[in-house]
Amino acid sequence: MAVTRERFEQGMTYDEYKAQMTRNRERLEENERTVELSTDDIEFFRNLPEPLHVLVITEDWCGDAIANVPILGRLAAESGKLNIRVFLRDQNPDLMDQYLNQGVHRSIPVFAFFDQQFRPIGHWIERPAVITEMQEKMMANLYATDPAFADVAPGTSIAVMPDAARARLMQAFAAFRADTRLQADREVVRELRELIQQGLTIHQEA
Amino acid sequence: MELEGGRSLPKIKIVYCASCGYEPQTLELVSALMYAFHYDIAGIEIIPWQDGAFDVAVDGELIHSMYRDGGFPAPEMIINAVRERLGR
Repeated sequence: MAVTRERFEQGMTYDEYKAQMTRNRERLEENERTVELSTDDIEFFRNLPEPLHVLVITEDWCGDAIANVPILGRLAAESGKLNIRVFLRDQNPDLMDQYLNQGVHRSIPVFAFFDQQFRPIGHWIERPAVITEMQEKMMANLYATDPAFADVAPGTSIAVMPDAARARLMQAFAAFRADTRLQADREVVRELRELIQQGLTIHQEA
Repeated sequence: MELEGGRSLPKIKIVYCASCGYEPQTLELVSALMYAFHYDIAGIEIIPWQDGAFDVAVDGELIHSMYRDGGFPAPEMIINAVRERLGR
């Protein structure tokens, strides 16, 4: 089912979304303040041939959403070319089910871009692909080299993992998030630019 | 936890994805276990995690894994696993 203008307009503006958040608003606004956007990135969005509608599916408890929704918010504020409407995932299954990750997972955030005629341009889900790959490599390295994982098979559930290994994994994830924050932010913007560029090119050729 | 006569009470671990909003399902399961067993369990450990996890282990045996089994477990399934260990 296509997203119509009427359905899109039922969403919250970005400011309305922030106003109704019951948790993590400070983290989201801190990320919005501190995300580093290059002049080139801002110019790309400012120079879009037409303003784009952006349907955002999110929830305020989601870590990836708290990291990535504010990047889109800043791009919208800096460029004046992105018209954002926000929908909560668990209250809008009709929308969520159109953007399942790998056709299965209800991963968020989702950013779906549309042109002025509401033709789809493309959509982006959860986090940059390169960050997911780096995280998988970090975990593989940990299992291979850290003594705490000597008797722990990859893929072992946290529920049956020895406490020492679980503690190491928690430390490693925290360090990974801190170490990759800037790179992850840049990748989000790069992937969004690429997605929009490709979508607009296809529309022009059609 | 070992009691008189070598009998031991089961220990339950629940791992839930804290960045996925799985708190309601976690609390529902904890509540069901508390009301079903009262003093007859050694403890319930709740572990916040990520990556879409919702796993439950009883005495170190993985009873349910969202990754392995899909979805959330029915509380009755976990209760039955605990009852088996209690010999009921």
